[in-house]
Amino acid sequence: MFKKSGDNAPLFAGLAVVFFMIGGLLTTVVPPMVDRSWGKPFENADASKGPVGKLEAYTELELAGRAIYVREGCWYCHTQQTRTLLADTKRSGWRGVDSPVSTPDEFVYDSPHLFGTKRTGPDLSRVGGKYDEQWHRTHFKNPRDLVPGSIMPPYPWIANDEKEFKAMVAYLQKLGRAKHWRPDNDYEK
Amino acid sequence: MAQEKQTVHSAAATSGAAVHEDTTAKWFLISAVVYFLIVGVVAIIIAAKFVWPEMLGTVAMLSYGRLRPLHVNGMLFGWLLAADMGLTYYLVPRLCGVKLWSEKLGVATALLWNVIILGAVVSLLMGWNQGWEYAELPLPLDVLVVVAWIMFGINVFATVATRKYQQMYVSLWYTMGCILWTAFVYLTGNFATLFTTGVNQANLNWMYVHNAVGLIFTPVGLALAYYFIPKAGNIPLYSHKLSMIGFWSLAFFYVWTGAHHMIHGPISQWLQTISIAFSLMLIMPVWSVVYNLFATMKGHWPRTRDNVPLKFLMSGVVFYLLTCFQGPMHSLRSVNAIVSKTDWIPGHAHMAVLGAFSFFAIAGTLYVIPRMFNVKLHSDALANWSYWLFMVGGIGFFVTLWLGGFWQGWQWNNPSIPFIDTVKALKPIWIVRFFSGIFMLGGIVAFLYNVIATVVDSAGAKPEVQGA
Ligand code: HEC
Repeated sequence: MFKKSGDNAPLFAGLAVVFFMIGGLLTTVVPPMVDRSWGKPFENADASKGPVGKLEAYTELELAGRAIYVREGCWYCHTQQTRTLLADTKRSGWRGVDSPVSTPDEFVYDSPHLFGTKRTGPDLSRVGGKYDEQWHRTHFKNPRDLVPGSIMPPYPWIANDEKEFKAMVAYLQKLGRAKHWRPDNDYEK
Repeated sequence: MAQEKQTVHSAAATSGAAVHEDTTAKWFLISAVVYFLIVGVVAIIIAAKFVWPEMLGTVAMLSYGRLRPLHVNGMLFGWLLAADMGLTYYLVPRLCGVKLWSEKLGVATALLWNVIILGAVVSLLMGWNQGWEYAELPLPLDVLVVVAWIMFGINVFATVATRKYQQMYVSLWYTMGCILWTAFVYLTGNFATLFTTGVNQANLNWMYVHNAVGLIFTPVGLALAYYFIPKAGNIPLYSHKLSMIGFWSLAFFYVWTGAHHMIHGPISQWLQTISIAFSLMLIMPVWSVVYNLFATMKGHWPRTRDNVPLKFLMSGVVFYLLTCFQGPMHSLRSVNAIVSKTDWIPGHAHMAVLGAFSFFAIAGTLYVIPRMFNVKLHSDALANWSYWLFMVGGIGFFVTLWLGGFWQGWQWNNPSIPFIDTVKALKPIWIVRFFSGIFMLGGIVAFLYNVIATVVDSAGAKPEVQGA
């Protein structure tokens, strides 16, 4: 069959597509049908099953902030996933408390998804509530004023635009908040 | 083995029968080479921003987050894919022994491609970014890409349908495979993603990202390697059977591996395991191709000495072997825990897209430009210079990022080291990366100058006799 396809173009093309389609369909269409957690928002009231909490859709303001995050390409330097690695749960953690790992059900309202592939800066999956608004304003104006040695770019056009800045911060404060895992208050309010 | 050997020249020897216009190939290649330089300058700027983060810091359009997608999309689609398409327009008619089905359609495709790239430059600088890696371009441009791809596909398949040689050479398989698979891969990454969210969308996005390299740049790149190594070296291909194993295993295994971009991440464990298993199996299509090409060169290595295209080609094969060994290794959970998300990854990605596939495209361009314009290459010495500049810059870039990335990963896995210390630690790495980039840019300049000067020579000089 393969030998023949060497000089029969339609047979060749048909085979090439079929070969590709087997893996193509099994790895894209089938998984969300098998694993329901990909599409169901996180909700857990039973503490014995891990962190309790509930995923809520983004508000208009948060969505506006998210759009800025996408526009400015923050996601080229920041991931949004606490992986199943001990170091990740510690680095995303809070005052000695390890962060829960990220689960698919925390991301069902995310489009575009912003999991990211590169950590030039720290992971942001649990950054919501870590810093207050003033910190973010200073940080966006010039990250090096707060963190000497940082290579994050300055974003004066966000910090100096009140509407954009508020939206951006609202989005950042939302990140990772579906699961209530922090011992007590944070910087948010 | 003897009767199994298939030669490219058997097809080419008689190709004198068809007179090739090559207008489409010329348009694609010349615009690709120009984008190579422009986007190379963008690359240098973003490399510099790692060392001097405040450089051009107050200009939103020139900030890191806008220029990085311009660099990636510009290199992938403006330079590499355009060059690959140009070379395909050159080699498909020759392997079929007929003229290109329609030069008019081809030139229209080249024009449309340039419209897309210019549109991409504007949108990415404006921040009109869809938020998916490799699929940043806004929807209207995605639609134009689909149209251009259909125009390209029609031209290639119609040429194959009217071919004079019954037997299809392996480069033709890879070209046709690329066109068909790309259609599905591109639709998945740019359109199917619109109807999904979260992890489901990420899975589709990474199916696309992975196969943009695996089923777009790999097959078209290998089509070039399989064509130009025997041509430039004047050696018959070692084994037809082996090339068949390579092709069909690529067709079957590659597409399963997208989820290895989310190892340890929030995606089903069983899907991660499948992607790891298939990533390991990728060794098969890769090694069968590399073995075939090395065996072809056996006993003929001295020919690389003063044959610059052959030098680029065989170095590309070595980089291909290395990068495709790294890939499966990264997918192992233990290795992934260290290198994933670090600077190792750009080191790996650049070896694939620059070291392997761009080297093939550069070699092809250096080989076909003099033949299409009927003159000698402007300067062999300059071509040799561009080779060494790319090699020094490339190896400097790959090796320092691997070392740096590995070190970074070790530090991340020790949570008692504050994150910012892992940033400061990489500064020397980023300085070396910047200077390696300068070398590569030098390689691009030498290459571009050589191509343009050859074209200019052809306008003035009397046509030299060159084998078509
Ligand atoms: C060139 C890469 C880069 C880009 C682009 C970038 N950052 Fe950063 N970011 C960093 C680095 C490095 C750090 C760590 C040092 C610091 O805190 O400044 C950081 C830190 C942060 C922190 C603090 C995280 C923590 O846990 O301490 C936040 C929040 C943040 N960035 C948000 C953003 C947002 C929002 C954008 C887009 C507008 C963005 N970053 C773009 C590199 C980047």
